[in-house]
Amino acid sequence: MAEMEEKDTSSKKGPGVKKAKKAAMHVDMTPMVDLGFLLITFFIFSTTMSQPTSMNLNMPKDTKDQNQDTKVKESGSLTLMLGKGNVVYYYYGNDLLHLQTTTYKGMRNIILDKKSKTPPEDLFVIIKPDKDASYKNVVDALDEMNIDDISRYAMVDPTADEYSLIQKTEQAAGIQ
Amino acid sequence: MPRAKIQKKATHVDMTAMCDVAFLLLTFFILAAQFKPSSAVEVITPNSVSNKHAPEMNYFTVTIDKDNNVYVDMWQTLKAPILKEVGELTNMQFSPADIKAFENTEFVGLPLSQLKQYDALSAEQKDKVKLPGIPYDSTNNQLLTWITAAVKASEGKQTSFLIRGDNATKYTTFKKVLDAFQKNDIYKYNLMTNAEEVPEGSELWKKNMRRIRSGEKPE
Repeated sequence: MAEMEEKDTSSKKGPGVKKAKKAAMHVDMTPMVDLGFLLITFFIFSTTMSQPTSMNLNMPKDTKDQNQDTKVKESGSLTLMLGKGNVVYYYYGNDLLHLQTTTYKGMRNIILDKKSKTPPEDLFVIIKPDKDASYKNVVDALDEMNIDDISRYAMVDPTADEYSLIQKTEQAAGIQ
Repeated sequence: MPRAKIQKKATHVDMTAMCDVAFLLLTFFILAAQFKPSSAVEVITPNSVSNKHAPEMNYFTVTIDKDNNVYVDMWQTLKAPILKEVGELTNMQFSPADIKAFENTEFVGLPLSQLKQYDALSAEQKDKVKLPGIPYDSTNNQLLTWITAAVKASEGKQTSFLIRGDNATKYTTFKKVLDAFQKNDIYKYNLMTNAEEVPEGSELWKKNMRRIRSGEKPE
């Protein structure tokens, strides 16, 4: 489709003189631009702009020796239990009977509230994901520790009592 | 009365400038492109506020997909030593050809008994096979074998142990992977996530602001 536009070449030269054709070089660039943009679109879609990041997770060494277990003050501890259907159950200290329910959004206020009331050296958050929690829930909870600048936290499995209590609560609330 | 003639203009837009821009962008995207890793295992990682880049070298990654199947992959130079360790642990024989084929395979997602057969396939044939995942139940914990091999092969080297889980992965599976690492005395992991903004006004945000003001790097 490249066009060679001819200019008006009527000249005042004699009849025997050959006309020198002056061609204005107008190349139609539409297909080229099309191709260019097609390739751009392809590269935009195939490029992963955001590099994956990574979060550090340090677990404690498993010890059978009870003396080496981390001691936590009852007054300074907050236990978050991650259940089915993105629900978080929490209680303070050993007060399992006063189990309360919240969501991942509401978790921040509860943690900050506890943080403001507790001396920093006593504060300890225990994360207990149960069997029905997803990996996303665990990462969200660990991330929340980073966001709220909690330096002391641990991830533990819930006890059998706690798990049955969660299941009862879930049944009562009808969470599938 | 002579009427004013409306001149018919040819609608020829000069596309040179547009073309220039298009190709400039094209060059940029070609150079900046980092191709998505092959989608043999599709995983959508959760978000976190961490801004640390995932290690790109000397890694050993355990991937858990949404159906709780487990796959491993590793940094190219670690492949041969790890396979040799696996051979020692399981009394399997790997010929130089097997090792070569293993180096050309991206993901390990099969029971060991089918490993050689799969590795020997061509790239197109591999694409057609659906990987069933590495068995990790207590009677036949091959994931543990792989991790033990990786730990042994990377002794004295700085190897990062990455865990790449899907949003929908069950915690129980993640826990089993952690257990397998802990049996080998590995307690530090990198969880692969997508970057997310630190919520404004949160504790971490305030801390970062203080760090920026005092001229330090934010966390």
